[in-house]
Order: sequence, then structure tokens, then C-alpha cells
Amino acid sequence: MRRAAGSADLLGAYRPGNSWLHAAPLGLKAGALVVLSAAVLVLRSPAVVAAAAVLVLTAYATAHLLRESWRPLRSMWPVLLLLGAFQWWASGWEAALLVPGNIALCVAAARLLTLTTAPQVLMDGLVSLARPLRQLGADPERFGLTLALMLRSIPFLLGSARDVRESAMARGLERNPRALTVPVAIRALTVPVAIRAVAYARQTGDALAARGIGERI
Amino acid sequence: MNNTSADAPRSAAGPGGTGSPDPRVHSRENLRAASGPASGRSSGRPSRGSSGRRRWTSADLSLIAVFAALTAVFSVLPGVPLGAGVPITLQTLAVMLTGMLLGPWRGAAAVGLFLLAGLAGLPVFSGFSGGLGVLAGPSVGYLLSFPVAAAVAGLLSGLVLRRPRRARAVLLFAAALATSFIVVHPAGIAGLMLNAHLSFPAALAADMAFWPGDVIKNVFASVVAVSVFKAFPSMATPGRGSR
Repeated sequence: MRRAAGSADLLGAYRPGNSWLHAAPLGLKAGALVVLSAAVLVLRSPAVVAAAAVLVLTAYATAHLLRESWRPLRSMWPVLLLLGAFQWWASGWEAALLVPGNIALCVAAARLLTLTTAPQVLMDGLVSLARPLRQLGADPERFGLTLALMLRSIPFLLGSARDVRESAMARGLERNPRALTVPVAIRALTVPVAIRAVAYARQTGDALAARGIGERI
Repeated sequence: MNNTSADAPRSAAGPGGTGSPDPRVHSRENLRAASGPASGRSSGRPSRGSSGRRRWTSADLSLIAVFAALTAVFSVLPGVPLGAGVPITLQTLAVMLTGMLLGPWRGAAAVGLFLLAGLAGLPVFSGFSGGLGVLAGPSVGYLLSFPVAAAVAGLLSGLVLRRPRRARAVLLFAAALATSFIVVHPAGIAGLMLNAHLSFPAALAADMAFWPGDVIKNVFASVVAVSVFKAFPSMATPGRGSR
């Protein structure tokens, strides 16, 4: 189960450290991740999966993050178990190990990237991906601005959702005995959040326009 | 929407746009004029993006950013617990809402931004925390279909908003539901077949578990959209249906 989502949660799973994985450039780590995941998913052989698992666990160990390696399983195990059971019934024990194993391995490998890279570096990497697309009319600066605006809006919207939920509870909404409680609750929780979001977006847009930020030059 | 030339410009080159050799030039010139410092109001007005080629103003960018954030928040907030231990988040509600409110282009951009940020490692997806790992997960089809779903919901709701206001919520609901079944569920089934190696009947059965929740969420997406259109009437008008 997820912890109750706070803004701290949304900073990601980054664990600061000074291992070689923390120091490795983002491009290298992302490239290795893509190659590893593709190999595992395309080759689909138990030997490859086992080798990749050893590789990923070694990487976790040398980054001093071995305790983190099993953590994705905490939220994923019901789905994986269900999937494994179905595959065992449908196509035998090999698939029952291989299919959930592949997924768990790829998720663990991808998580290692998030664990060892600061969110800011990840987001900068994302913006730099837009740079080669400049020829096609992409605008990395405006893309970066929009991404930064999005990250800045998340804490505001989370706070706004929390406020709305608390005021709904204060009105006794969650103890409402009517049969329609769930729909009423969804509506009471979503409408104010959406309206505040539009108002917030317009304020931000006006503020940007007033400063001439994000307009084309 | 194939008549972009007639829709794009806000003023002069309306219906005449089809006759001009390069309608895009007109719309760009109009925008340059509109986004000057003297007309701050007009750039604050949400102009429903009807041409993908048009440059977005800072008001557009900020709507895109905030709705990407809203999709993220609705994805990670503890959802409504449904039976069978599957907590249903409001993620698809946010996707449909974004499409309906922002229109096809800006809606797809907002949901696409959410998707990119999640793939880059921001833990904004429900269930799994985010990162490239979701591409290997069974829900990849649903996730990757979301920008397309926002675009289709935006297109269909654009048609609804051209009509008189009567029964708007019902028609918007129909638009969202159609989008779900044309875009989201087929893509989700394909993802299940590809990543979870399910056969088509099994994938369809797994997908059907989401149908009731999906119908409910689409109802609420349209209810919320109508409320927002009431609070901000201009979200429903300019650039849309102004032939």
C-alpha cells in the first residue's frame, strides 16, 4: 500500500549517496537500463533473466541500496502473483516464473535509476531529450518551463485536494449513511479541486504573460 | 478535425481561411498581434487550440502544466476502494477531464507531459511509483493510450460544445465513454497481451474488471467538466465552434 501521498513523496525515491552509480552520468545509466530491459523482454529465456537479475542485484549492492531492491514488490506482489498463477494454469511453470519475473526485474532496474539520480537531474535529462527535436519545431526552453510549472503545481494541488477533503469531512460527508455516498463523495472532492486548478492555471498564465515569460520571441 | 484552416485564426481569416494559399501564416500573424504586451487580457483568455501548428501562449502553457499536475495528483491520491482489493484511482477521470476542458491539442500535451514526467522517474503513476519500469508492467497499454484518449475526448467534446447547452452533461458523458471504449480499453488489452502474455479472451476478461469503475469515472468526468464550464464559461467558447 502506498503511504498517504504527501508532497515529500512526490520528490521521488531518490536516495542521495556517493557510489559509482550515483556518480555515473544519466545518459549512461538510462542507456544501460534500456538495453537490459529490451534484452530481458525480447530474449525471454530463464538464463537471461537469471543473469540480468544477478547483474541488477550486484548494482543495487554496490550502490549500497540492497535493502531497496525488493521494495517495488511490496506494492506489486498481488498483481504478479495473480499473473503467475494464470500463466501456470495457461502455459506451464516456465511462463509462470518468466512473465512476472521479467516485470519485477525491469521495474527493479528502472527504480535503480530513480534511486540514484536526483529528480532535478532526471527532469533536466528529459528536457535535453527535446533538444534534438528542435529541427522539427520543438522548443526545449518552453518545454522546460512547462515541466517546471507542472512540478511546482503538484504541491499546490495536493494541498488543495487535502483542504477539500478535510472540509468535506468536517461537513460529515464521509459518515453520510445514504447509499449514494461514494458518488457524492467523488463529486464533492473533485469539483472544487478542478475549479481551483483552472483558477490557479489562469493566475499563473497571467503572471507569466505580464512578465513576458513563455511568449514566443 | 480536418478543417484546421477555418478554425485556427481568432479573428479576420475565419471562413476565408480556406481560400488563402497558406492559412497558417494568417493564424500566426494574428497570434503575434494578440500576444503583444498591450493585450494581456487576450493572451490570458484560453484559446482552444484547434491547429497543432499554432504556437501556444503562456496561458496555454500554464493550463497544460497545471492539468498535467492535476492528472498526477488524481493518480496518486488514495482512490475509492472497490471490491477485490483493487483501489480505483481517479486517473482516467483526470485524463478525460483534461481532454474535455483543454481540447484535443492542449489536452494531449498535458497528459503527454504527465506521462513523460512519470516515465522519467517522477512517481506520478498509480500503483507502481513511476519510472521506465512501467513500460514493462501490465498496465502499459492504458498509460500510453492516455494522451490519445485526451485528444479524442477533446475532439468529441468539442462537437458537443458546439451544440446548444441542453443535456450537455449527458453528451459529454457519451463522448468520454466512447473515448474509453475506442481508445483506452483496446490499448489496455493490447498491453496486457504484450506484457502479461495473456491470450485475447483472458486480457478482455481482465480489462472488463475496469468497466464499472470506468463508467462511473466517466460520469464524474462529465459532471466535473460541466461544473468547470459553468464557473469559467470562456473555457467552453472561444476558438471552439467559432466557424
